[in-house]
Amino acid sequence: MSEPVEKQSVPSVWRIRTLSGPLLWAVGLAIPAVFDSSWVSIAAIFAIYAVSALSEDVILGRGGMFDMGHAVYFGIGAYVTAILNSSFGLPIFATLPAAVLLSAAAGALLAGPLMRLRGDYLLVATIGFNSIFVLAMQNDPGGMTGGSDGITGIGFPSLFGLPLASQSAMFWLDWVVLGIVLLLMRNLDRCEFGRAQRYLKQDELAATTLGVDARKVKTQAFALGAGLAGLAGTLFAVQLSTVSPASFVFTESVTLFAVVIVGGPGSIPGVLLGTALMFVVPQIFRDFAQYRYFVFGIAMIAVMVLRPQGLWPQRRRRA
Amino acid sequence: MDCRVKLGNDANEAIQFDRESLSFFDKKHPTLAGKVMGTFIQQVFNGLTVGGIYALIALGYTMVYGVMRLINFAHGDLCILGAFIGLTLLTGAAGSGHSGAVLLLCAFVLAVVVIAIAGVVLELVAYRPLRKADRLSAVVSALGASLLIENSIMLIWGPDVHVFPADLLPAITWTVAGANITFVQVMIILASVVLMTALYFFIHHTRFGTAIRATAIDQETAKLMGIKVNQVILTVFVIGPALGAIGGLFVGIYYREAYFTMGWTYGLYAFIAAILGGIGSIPGAMVGGVLLGLFNAFAAGYISSSWQDAITFALLIAILLVRPTGLMGEPDAGKV
Repeated sequence: MSEPVEKQSVPSVWRIRTLSGPLLWAVGLAIPAVFDSSWVSIAAIFAIYAVSALSEDVILGRGGMFDMGHAVYFGIGAYVTAILNSSFGLPIFATLPAAVLLSAAAGALLAGPLMRLRGDYLLVATIGFNSIFVLAMQNDPGGMTGGSDGITGIGFPSLFGLPLASQSAMFWLDWVVLGIVLLLMRNLDRCEFGRAQRYLKQDELAATTLGVDARKVKTQAFALGAGLAGLAGTLFAVQLSTVSPASFVFTESVTLFAVVIVGGPGSIPGVLLGTALMFVVPQIFRDFAQYRYFVFGIAMIAVMVLRPQGLWPQRRRRA
Repeated sequence: MDCRVKLGNDANEAIQFDRESLSFFDKKHPTLAGKVMGTFIQQVFNGLTVGGIYALIALGYTMVYGVMRLINFAHGDLCILGAFIGLTLLTGAAGSGHSGAVLLLCAFVLAVVVIAIAGVVLELVAYRPLRKADRLSAVVSALGASLLIENSIMLIWGPDVHVFPADLLPAITWTVAGANITFVQVMIILASVVLMTALYFFIHHTRFGTAIRATAIDQETAKLMGIKVNQVILTVFVIGPALGAIGGLFVGIYYREAYFTMGWTYGLYAFIAAILGGIGSIPGAMVGGVLLGLFNAFAAGYISSSWQDAITFALLIAILLVRPTGLMGEPDAGKV
């Protein structure tokens, strides 16, 4: 809170800041041309989890609501795509709207009761929802979710009759979606909804006095965050071609939660950095897979003790 | 395919705890009424045993939350670390010729001492630096500590299920109205009652207990009254984990197994018990533990076990929505 309010910064610095993001994204498009397929798949995983983490940021970082069950919305998206594709034979792109809308609806629906809870109570309730979701998927209601084994054999998407079957094509799809979501997140900072969220997070009483509809903004935040997570879920189902309850357990929610807080809540570069550390680094050091959560544990404590605001905190801006 | 990486904690999947083992005492009874009665008494005793364990673990959550307003996510893992330390002593000294009771006592003492020290280290390293920081930072630090302890157990003892030795305690079973009550059950129930009574007197009838209660009500004012808040918090991080270690070891002895993700399973149940009773309230944790234990036993006995956990979580959410302060919670427990 003691950071000085930013003065009119030097224009060239400003330009570098605004241009470096899109530039990095454009450079990223060349990943399949430079690296081999295992790196391309790691980059694709990064893009998918980045979308997922950014969607958690809408609720947790920007909304200030302690959502520790975000894997539920990610899971709903993945399961909707998996079921519609493998049981009903719908093409992947046709399942996408359903996945996004159903996740968003679940988010908005759960937001109703969840909104009455604050802080730690919200945290515990979302943990409860996550556990119920995983149990429900394991119990295979109506023979649709395939129980603990999940659903396998999900097809690949095709665009205008052109199958996106190769690893590179799927990477480009993920990367383009990430780009769109990043653009959306940047604009979120400036639109009415984003401003209302910032007011609410800083001082709910003052914001509601000034006419901000807290209920509406919070429901919208849950719906938007959940919908984007559903989008990431669809990409996840396509990338792995299989969906099972193990991918949406509480540990995954904790990881998404930690990505946002460790990276820097409300900060796009922070969340991307957090995603890279929590999801990409373990893929690179796969030989040490059993140490993954051990190292995470130490890293989470260390980052919080040394940098409680996150690795790359949000720049202070006038609300 | 190389790119299809298995994400998530496989071990969680592999070792799903089988709650049906709760009702393994069920036997055939001659009359229907006798059978109904026997099942009922059986479930009451099963519930009280598990409830006592939940209560012992829940006390650690509720005391820390009471004085620091922090969910100590690492508590459940600390408790199970206690079970593993006790188990190591028990299996290591198996052939030493001492009687089972002596070995068990040593195991409890060792587990309590080690876990109390671990609790203090946890507070000093992971929580004290964050006391003035944002709440979320402390939550993430607690989650980090949980992952660290859980995976330390896995790296030291391996991911397999460890079996507790069977011949430590006399295999006495009493039959009451068609229900079988084991020596272990009676021991756990009695020990829980004694420990909780002792804690209740410590908190409510000693000067230090008064200091703990004052700190829980208002840390700043307590400081002004000359209470050494840091000392109170350290004490809480000795008592909570110590009781938790006993609870963890009871879990191992009762179910005769230990595995590294157990801390999460039992920690969550104990935590639900703490919320049920009203988080921050010490009698609440005791009552909540027993009620949840009974609820679980009856749900396992009478309702399908595959949805039993889902029912428990639905109960948790319902309590949070209807009465977030729990059955015996202080009104200010909901303050954020």
